[in-house]
Amino acid sequence: MGRLLLRFTVLCLLGLLVAAPFVWMVGASFKTHAEVERGGAHIVPERLTLENYPKLLGQIPVRGDEYLDLDFGRWYVNSFFIALATTLLTVLTSAMAAYAFSRLRWKGRDTVFLLYLATMMVPGVVTMIPNFQIMVWFGFVNTYHGLIIPAAFSAFGTFLLRQFMLSIPPSLDEAARIDGASHWRIFWDVVMPLARPGVIALAIITFLAAYQSFFWPLIMLNDSQYFPLSVGLLELDTGYGVQAELVMAAATLTVIPLIVIFVIFQKFLVRGLQLGGVKG
Amino acid sequence: MALAFLMPNLIGFLLFTCFPVLLSLWMAFTNWSLRPIQRTEFVGLRNFTDLLGVRTVEGAPAGVGLAGFVVPRSVVLTLYLLAVAVLLAAVVGLFWANVKLWRGSRSGGVIVALLGVVMAVLAVALPAASPDDQGPAMLVRFWFGPGQGVFFSGLVLLLAGLIGMNREDGTWRPGLGMAPAGLLAAAMATLWWLHDPMWTAYTPRDERFWHYFYNTLFLMLSIPVAIAGSLGLALLLNQQLPLGAWRSRRTAMVRVTGVTLCLLLAVLTFGIGLWQGWPNVGLLAALVWAIASLGIAFNIVTFRTIFYLPTFTAGVAVFILWKELYNTEHGPINALIVAAVDGLAYLAGQVGVDMGGLDGGPQWLAHTAWARPAMVIMGVWIAIGGTTMLLYLAALANMPKELLDAAAVDGAGPWQRFRHITWPQLAPTTFFVSVIAIIGGFQGGFEQARVMTEGGPAGSTTTLSYYIFQMLFTDLNLGYAAAVSWVLFVMIFIATAINWTFGKGVEVEA
Repeated sequence: MGRLLLRFTVLCLLGLLVAAPFVWMVGASFKTHAEVERGGAHIVPERLTLENYPKLLGQIPVRGDEYLDLDFGRWYVNSFFIALATTLLTVLTSAMAAYAFSRLRWKGRDTVFLLYLATMMVPGVVTMIPNFQIMVWFGFVNTYHGLIIPAAFSAFGTFLLRQFMLSIPPSLDEAARIDGASHWRIFWDVVMPLARPGVIALAIITFLAAYQSFFWPLIMLNDSQYFPLSVGLLELDTGYGVQAELVMAAATLTVIPLIVIFVIFQKFLVRGLQLGGVKG
Repeated sequence: MALAFLMPNLIGFLLFTCFPVLLSLWMAFTNWSLRPIQRTEFVGLRNFTDLLGVRTVEGAPAGVGLAGFVVPRSVVLTLYLLAVAVLLAAVVGLFWANVKLWRGSRSGGVIVALLGVVMAVLAVALPAASPDDQGPAMLVRFWFGPGQGVFFSGLVLLLAGLIGMNREDGTWRPGLGMAPAGLLAAAMATLWWLHDPMWTAYTPRDERFWHYFYNTLFLMLSIPVAIAGSLGLALLLNQQLPLGAWRSRRTAMVRVTGVTLCLLLAVLTFGIGLWQGWPNVGLLAALVWAIASLGIAFNIVTFRTIFYLPTFTAGVAVFILWKELYNTEHGPINALIVAAVDGLAYLAGQVGVDMGGLDGGPQWLAHTAWARPAMVIMGVWIAIGGTTMLLYLAALANMPKELLDAAAVDGAGPWQRFRHITWPQLAPTTFFVSVIAIIGGFQGGFEQARVMTEGGPAGSTTTLSYYIFQMLFTDLNLGYAAAVSWVLFVMIFIATAINWTFGKGVEVEA
């Protein structure tokens, strides 16, 4: 009993320690400008204000009558749109390729798969530079599809889903084939439902990566109406005379969807991470 | 048929992964630029020699004094490069000796650990011994010079040596296993001895690259700390808390009562805090009760979730948050430090000791000596409950319980059981997560540099990936940026090759 109580207490205190920066962030987002400027480690605002969030979602005042030309609400929508589109495309193309690698027999399959594996070792910065040049050639700079399309084909996703599909007993789809089902039917109705844990894990990992991606949108965009939250936050933070309490409110709004997603899907994510090595 | 399934992914893969890799390789050998006026030409290895090479200092004498003789400076250069080559060979050799368990590898660990101690002591002692203003502050003078990096390198070597010494399957008897450690010590001593003559005659062609390379390595100091922390957390989370099942009516009742009680206490503490004028203490206590109630409700999943959150949310928002936390004037970290030091000084004053005050806390992101440590601390917070912890948890769950039980029966204490049973069995996981973290470390540091410091102050937080970004956007020099990225790739490739050669691979099942 004593050991249990000790372990439980230690865990609770460590949990508080890890969560403390987030708690301070939420507290700061309800403080007035004067209080933030004065500083201090306190969390509970001396004078609670609810104005920061409406201010952030409306027009952001600089000083006096001037307003910043920023649109936080639009960045929010951008982020979700880009992340969801990337996730959908990635999962679809990866699952199809994984099906081809795990269920179909064709010449050169192992060679092509080896090529996929080999490129997983190449760090992102290496491909980033020529990809930017390619985007310039294609005229994709400053567009949504310039952010979505290059991110939609994942060697890692193909690899992860192939591992999942290999663990599904092939007797199931052989039975379906004998009953005359086409490969499309088998893919959609047999393999995909059985690979669901892997698909969900890949979807979360891809969504997270797309939602958090920063380097790529930063170099691809200079028109603020296409900004996702990551680049938008930077713009807000470096914007002239923007107040820290507004930035903290923006950071809170950015982090909240992530926390919600993680709490809901963590079972799948933990399994996926532990199975597919590490990424994300 | 296969083509229909493969095509969508394959086209994208060839276009955005394979082709760019080849294009990047070509770019690295050209002067490729985004400036439209410039013609792209093949320049051979020039980008790489500009990056890694040295050139002679203008007006430097042809002869350099070395050990009482005057020798041609090319001799110094040759010796220096030789020492660097020996150093690299010794590092690989250390790995090899420990994996293949050469005879004497444990004694080799002693040499490495001693070398680390000597480095750390010298790093502190030499700046302290310099003649100007002696005082109690002289002991921390190393922190504000190159001694800081040497000190931490010494600690890392000490840690590596201790790990080598503790390999129970290795041997103490002297043998070949001591050679890499000896070579390492010799190479280090030679480099120190050659330092002055070498860098008066020569200078690196791209000094920034080496500075940023050092920064990248420095930020990797968070890796050992975070891995140790992850292991600790994983050990705490390894077993479910024995709270009883929800299905059993009796224990379910107890747990419902526990949850309700903790929630009530949370509300009560916060209320009392507000009423007594201590709202922050009340809030923190209330949060502990709230976490406790969640812990009773969802068992260790609660804590795993909380510990994983920094990793999951790591991004621009979190870096902006830490920038505020580190703020010198109105950030909470310095407010806490000042309050703590004031409290100590007050207590010391009560017993008649004058500690003196503190004019503000560390300068954190605004000071070249503090910015890197600040990044390291943040890195530990982000990574401590992350994927490493999950992999350790999976490895612990797969571990057979019989050995631990048998050891307990034989009277082994908790520390002995960890040291002789758990830790050796976790070795493959530890190895795997270290290599993965090192690979990530080489590529990392871009976001925080861009968001928190813009690489400053004085380039002290610029990592190699941020350097590539600068090359792209301030210099528009794609060829040179590609060359940097390929140098980075070679480092990562070596880390991966080590992983494949030495790692037995971790088999993890959820």
